[in-house]
Amino acid sequence: MSSCAIPSFTIRMEGASVAEFSWPPRSPLEHALVAGAYGVREVAPGIFLTEVRNFELIQVMARRGKGAELASATTARFGMAAPDVPKAVSASDVMLIWSGPDQFLVLSKGGKYTINTLSQAFSQSASLSDQSHARAWISVSGAKARTMLAKLSSIDLHPTAFPIGAAAATSIDHTSVNLWRGDDGPDGQAVFNLLLFATFAGSLWQTMLDAGAEYGVDIRHSEEFA
Amino acid sequence: MRIVCPFCGERELGEFSYLGDAKPVRPAAGAPEDDVFDYVYLRDNIAGAMSEHWYHAGGCRAWLKITRNTLTHEISSVEPAAGAGAAEVGA
Repeated sequence: MSSCAIPSFTIRMEGASVAEFSWPPRSPLEHALVAGAYGVREVAPGIFLTEVRNFELIQVMARRGKGAELASATTARFGMAAPDVPKAVSASDVMLIWSGPDQFLVLSKGGKYTINTLSQAFSQSASLSDQSHARAWISVSGAKARTMLAKLSSIDLHPTAFPIGAAAATSIDHTSVNLWRGDDGPDGQAVFNLLLFATFAGSLWQTMLDAGAEYGVDIRHSEEFA
Repeated sequence: MRIVCPFCGERELGEFSYLGDAKPVRPAAGAPEDDVFDYVYLRDNIAGAMSEHWYHAGGCRAWLKITRNTLTHEISSVEPAAGAGAAEVGA
């Protein structure tokens, strides 16, 4: 979600008129995303593109020489270790996604793991940065998901090379993204998740639609924590 | 050309950016001017195995120290540069 300035009312300050702004959060894909079918329609959609809205995302980076302290603080706080190789691990309400050496992302919904509730646990070992409104979260699934992503990414997403829980910090269209494979969907198909920079999300969204049009795309947005 | 990032695995060249020679070492404060000039401006033009710094900009954002043959592009070693991740600088 990005925030957008909407003038709400004006106040008088030292004789001058000063605009006040409210900052309601809204998705960076609010305009680009049109729910429904896209591309070929004679066939069942080969791709399901779903934007997950309203999440908390905290970047956690170990301070110099504090890798071991961060590891023990993470286990104490989440009851599971953060991945030290490119993987994503999850509990029922939170996901820890590897993003580089001695750093990971905390992805959650519902306000339980925010920068305020996490800062105490990591005050001695890591630097935290709130990315909640700086990324768009897209989930890609369907029978043609891997074929579509192969047009955009050089990562081998075959199940033998990229099993459930695999993650990668990589680039799509010269833009850095975090990519991971979640649990398979109810239809048994692989589900790939992408975190995109908010300001690039519209462009990458269009790129994914172009890549997926020939397979038929089903577009929706969701509030569900995948 | 592909580079096997020690953190991410094998990735295409486009994810990396090139800094250059990994050999120059910053002279101590008070070093002679010639040493500083050498450090800042003078670079060897190596035909063969060269130690280089690369940055995995489109991936894990770690600095890497790579030995690459400038004639064949063969890469014989890739290791994290000092200070990658939470490692101590110089460790």
